[in-house]
Amino acid sequence: MIAGNLLAILILLIPGFAGIFYRSRIKEMSVAAAAIDLGLSVIMYYMRPQTGFFFVQNITVLFIVMVLSVYLLSTVYSTRYLKGTENMGIREPTYYLLLNLFTISMIFSLEVNNYGFMWVGIEATTISSALLLITEKTETSLEATWRYIIIVSAGVTFAFISIILIYYSLGTLSVSVAIAMHPHSKIMVLAVSLALIGFGTKVGVFPVHTWLPDAHSEAPSPVSAMFSGVLLPTALYVLYEVYEIEPIRQLYVWFAVISIVAASIFIGYQTRYKRMFAYSTMENMNLALLGLAAGGLLGITGALLLLISHSFGKAGAFYSSGNVLRFTGKKNIADLSGLGTSMPYTSASMLMSSLAVTGAPPFGTFFGEFLILSDVLSLHMYAQFIIVIIFLATAFISVNYNVTGMLFNGKGPRNEKDKLMSAVSVISAVMPLFIGIFYLVVYIEVL
Amino acid sequence: MNYIDSVVYLISSLTAISAFYIQGQEFIVSMIRGQSVQSLLIAVLAFIIAWEERSIDFFILGALIIVLRAFLVNYFLQKRIPKQKSYIYEGRVSLSYLFLVDLIFIVISVFILYSIAFSGIVLHSFLENSGNSSVLVFPITLFFQGLFLIASRRTTFTQIIGYVEEENSLVLFAMFLLPIPIIIETSVFLDVLALVVISSIVVLEKFTHEPVEELRG
Repeated sequence: MIAGNLLAILILLIPGFAGIFYRSRIKEMSVAAAAIDLGLSVIMYYMRPQTGFFFVQNITVLFIVMVLSVYLLSTVYSTRYLKGTENMGIREPTYYLLLNLFTISMIFSLEVNNYGFMWVGIEATTISSALLLITEKTETSLEATWRYIIIVSAGVTFAFISIILIYYSLGTLSVSVAIAMHPHSKIMVLAVSLALIGFGTKVGVFPVHTWLPDAHSEAPSPVSAMFSGVLLPTALYVLYEVYEIEPIRQLYVWFAVISIVAASIFIGYQTRYKRMFAYSTMENMNLALLGLAAGGLLGITGALLLLISHSFGKAGAFYSSGNVLRFTGKKNIADLSGLGTSMPYTSASMLMSSLAVTGAPPFGTFFGEFLILSDVLSLHMYAQFIIVIIFLATAFISVNYNVTGMLFNGKGPRNEKDKLMSAVSVISAVMPLFIGIFYLVVYIEVL
Repeated sequence: MNYIDSVVYLISSLTAISAFYIQGQEFIVSMIRGQSVQSLLIAVLAFIIAWEERSIDFFILGALIIVLRAFLVNYFLQKRIPKQKSYIYEGRVSLSYLFLVDLIFIVISVFILYSIAFSGIVLHSFLENSGNSSVLVFPITLFFQGLFLIASRRTTFTQIIGYVEEENSLVLFAMFLLPIPIIIETSVFLDVLALVVISSIVVLEKFTHEPVEELRG
């Protein structure tokens, strides 16, 4: 148990340790810290602290591995991406320092055994990531930063009321104790409902999602990848820990369904590819919320499968978008064509990631969606099932229509200038495929 | 209602009045000072509870409120106000109209939330009549005032003040309901301070917030 606690502390400290090299080599040290941390997180599976200050369950390890994988990919990608940035709002060492602090705050939210500290961790993610949004400083990115700060902070105050009510009801903020107690009261219903608004702001639940497309579209691509791939799942994890105290299934399920509908409609009329992928994240997060709220074994397994596949798939989509933006300078879907010939590797990763994030077989996201919807059906939620199926199909068509248009309409001269950036985007995009095939093999073996 | 209860109700009502005062201001400096007064009132309440409960936690809380919110936040914000006339005065606001909408919004939202959720709550024991939760109306009013200020104004400063007002309401709410661990409260204060510092960096570049075409939809 002591070894588990020490490991949890070490994982928190290592990215911070890279900050010591702020004046020189912070870039290299951040990559090294990410790699070491990822290795340690795998070891953590075998020595999980489950009482005291930290509360790490199997599912928590999965989230930590997910966060650190995307952190590693993003730090490697950033080493090249930032080279072409004009008018940087923050200095390069500050960027890496904030990226490391951002990761620490996410890991802290996941590891800690206290709802109050989870709230502090989620707020810390806002503080540490806000200035990352102005790395590429423009009038629009400044406005997006401001919206991110004010909307998320104002929203998360609702979650603090929820925390106060949990303490009022249970006399403790310990996650392990609260979940074991299973109290039923009007106050707990209120607390869990307010958590849906509060932490839901960070998850991207409609109608408190409005910061999400702005921040994702204006952040530098490696930061967008971390927002989409791991920040939102971290907030979803915290929301789920609160939900476990008093599951209000119908409320959560309907909010998730309405959010999927809204996200699919928004995807339909987007003119900028990064903004389109941002709304796709909203759709996927709410689908995972649907699985977790349904609460059956199928739903929870599906949600986890969806989240881990989506984290890599969406990171791949944003890295590909970063390549396109860096090499062409264009943000609008209508301005882009012939990427299939001008940027073959980036095109391959963008196509695979867009198929992955829209749930095409045999990507891991497909099996995740399949399991979630099976669970919804098994609970006789037919109306919710039909609505979700229709709008998932709508989102699938919208995203893939736009992406294939950019890739296969016309031809262009070869314009892929950086092999490492392309390699990172391809690796990220392949991962959901690997996860899907791995799951299929395990599934066949088990049955 | 005994003497202490009356004082607590009086000060709590003054915090709600200070929120209406802030809502009615056009000059940013007046708003910042209004927020300082509001924080001071909450600190006084914390000291009263500390005295009644013989609790060092509430005393530390009161001291933190004074140092961080009443002075440091005030200092950071006032220092950042640009000298141009257009930024020290929020001219394009129809105050009478906003005030009316604010009153309707507050009355409806407080009435709904209080009557549905909080009317049956038993309060912290320092109030003699702790079964009566009506004092919770004041933090709830403050919370919605903060939200309304963020939604109705366009300058960075007023939105920061709205956020600080929201956080003030949470502290007041927590103090009445029961003391949550001091370390959480401290974190909340540091969070507010950090956000104000970060916001002030953004303020250097962008003072007002109008709809941006690229961020529509």
